[in-house]
Amino acid sequence: MSYITAYQYYENGGNAPENENWGSYQYVSLPDIVNNFMLMYQGNHELINNLNRYQVLFYAKRGIQELNYDAFKEIKILQLDVSSNLRFILPQDYVNWVRLSHYKNGVLFPMTENFQTNYSGAYLQDNSANILFDEDGQILKPQNSKLDLDRITSQTKTLYLNTDNQFDGELGYFYDGLWYFDYAIGARYGLNTETANRNKVFKIDNKGGVINFNSDMSGESCILEYVSDGMETTYDSATSSQVVNDDKITVNKLFEDYIYAFIRYSILNNRLGVQEYVVRRAQKDKSSLLRNAKIRLSNIHPGKLLMTMRGQDKIIK
Amino acid sequence: MINEVRNTVLAIINKNNYGYISPADFNLYAEQAQLDIFEDYFYNYNSQVNKENSRQSGTGLADIKKGLEEVLDSFSVFGSLTQISSNTYNLPSDYYLVQDLIYGNKIIERVSNNKIRLLLNSNLTSPTKGFPAYTLSGATSTELGNTVTIHPSTINGANDVSVQYIRYPLTPKWTFQSLLGGEPIFDQNQSDYQDFELPLSDSINIVQKILQYAGLSIREGDVYTYAQNEQVEQQNEEN
Repeated sequence: MSYITAYQYYENGGNAPENENWGSYQYVSLPDIVNNFMLMYQGNHELINNLNRYQVLFYAKRGIQELNYDAFKEIKILQLDVSSNLRFILPQDYVNWVRLSHYKNGVLFPMTENFQTNYSGAYLQDNSANILFDEDGQILKPQNSKLDLDRITSQTKTLYLNTDNQFDGELGYFYDGLWYFDYAIGARYGLNTETANRNKVFKIDNKGGVINFNSDMSGESCILEYVSDGMETTYDSATSSQVVNDDKITVNKLFEDYIYAFIRYSILNNRLGVQEYVVRRAQKDKSSLLRNAKIRLSNIHPGKLLMTMRGQDKIIK
Repeated sequence: MINEVRNTVLAIINKNNYGYISPADFNLYAEQAQLDIFEDYFYNYNSQVNKENSRQSGTGLADIKKGLEEVLDSFSVFGSLTQISSNTYNLPSDYYLVQDLIYGNKIIERVSNNKIRLLLNSNLTSPTKGFPAYTLSGATSTELGNTVTIHPSTINGANDVSVQYIRYPLTPKWTFQSLLGGEPIFDQNQSDYQDFELPLSDSINIVQKILQYAGLSIREGDVYTYAQNEQVEQQNEEN
């Protein structure tokens, strides 16, 4: 198999998109990984033989998924506007979030997760708080819970932080760009640090597949940094569906040996009659290769350390 | 080679015309003998692999496996499959063992019928055009299956699927045109002439096999026992 020419690399051979192959040399594709493994690591004279290719494919994909969750540091970023229903639908390939920022006036304001829930499901109840059912015995549910409705209609209180204002640190209502406060009655016992943040807050409803915001985010722009599992999909016109595109699934070359070790270990670990020392050897091999690859990818450079360490003798006034 | 084999067999077995084998009988025995030895190649190959893994086999001239591989590879054929309908294709009628089905430059993996449904429902390993799979199919209540079904079903072009397979050796046929003194004279220019396809080194095995069949046929226990003993001795040497 030959590598692409410089013209294909820089301009995709004159085709669109032009950036199709930029940076591609860093990566090895899933078909290459499976093919190489079948060729080099399984066979009559190897540790593993009589193997189905789909087993290798499965473990290769599992390994790539695991790497995508943390080791790769390949963050996907998506910017969307929050509508009046105060939610941000999670991206199709979302697995976990890294950071959420509020983008306003060209500045990114990091948002914090609200540890107090701001969404809920609900059942319809009668005056005696009995749950209501339909004729099939299914529980009747409202479109929004009271909690959701209050949040969406700006009837929940939000912490106001502004040291230049007399209402700094008080809970108030943010509605239509303005803040409203109750009369201060009784004692105040200081700041609730759990929720204290000048920036806006959010709460992720993983099962619901949305990020819920408070009312002050209505119409605002939000940037989500998240990780996926690396299982890239493309539209297949033959089946009119989104399908996994194996050619697009890639691994950084720094992790190539690790992926082979991961597949080897996974197979040996599940095989009948493999000696324990062989399994342990494969496990150690896998672990050390992951460690090596992470160190390589971290790009710890002596020059960078030197720059940081220069500050050690700085006098703090 | 076939004429030399026949002459040798007759020289051993045909005493006072008691053990004469007609050309038709010889051809039947020859076909059986060749098939028997052809099949033994696969078992011998497996045996050699095991020996290599236990370091009981050498390299260079002592590399027995290499010789066996070369013989088996000489029966390896590449061709296109004929489409029956959609993603179903006919296998060649002379196939002994499918090595690879190929879609473009991708190998189509064989999956057994008891696994294919699980595979199709798998979110990670469901067959794709990048990693296609096939099952052997086409069997009915009265006929054996000789077709393959390709997954995903979008692989369905008339010329989409090629095959690399080991074919059966062609049926050997000792041919003659005329008789001389009641004896058929060998003629390899006949259109249906077919020599053995196994290498010359197998002629000894072929003679022994044919002698076994012929000895059994004429109820000559000595011949059968001799041929069998020879074969056992040879196998012991090889092992």
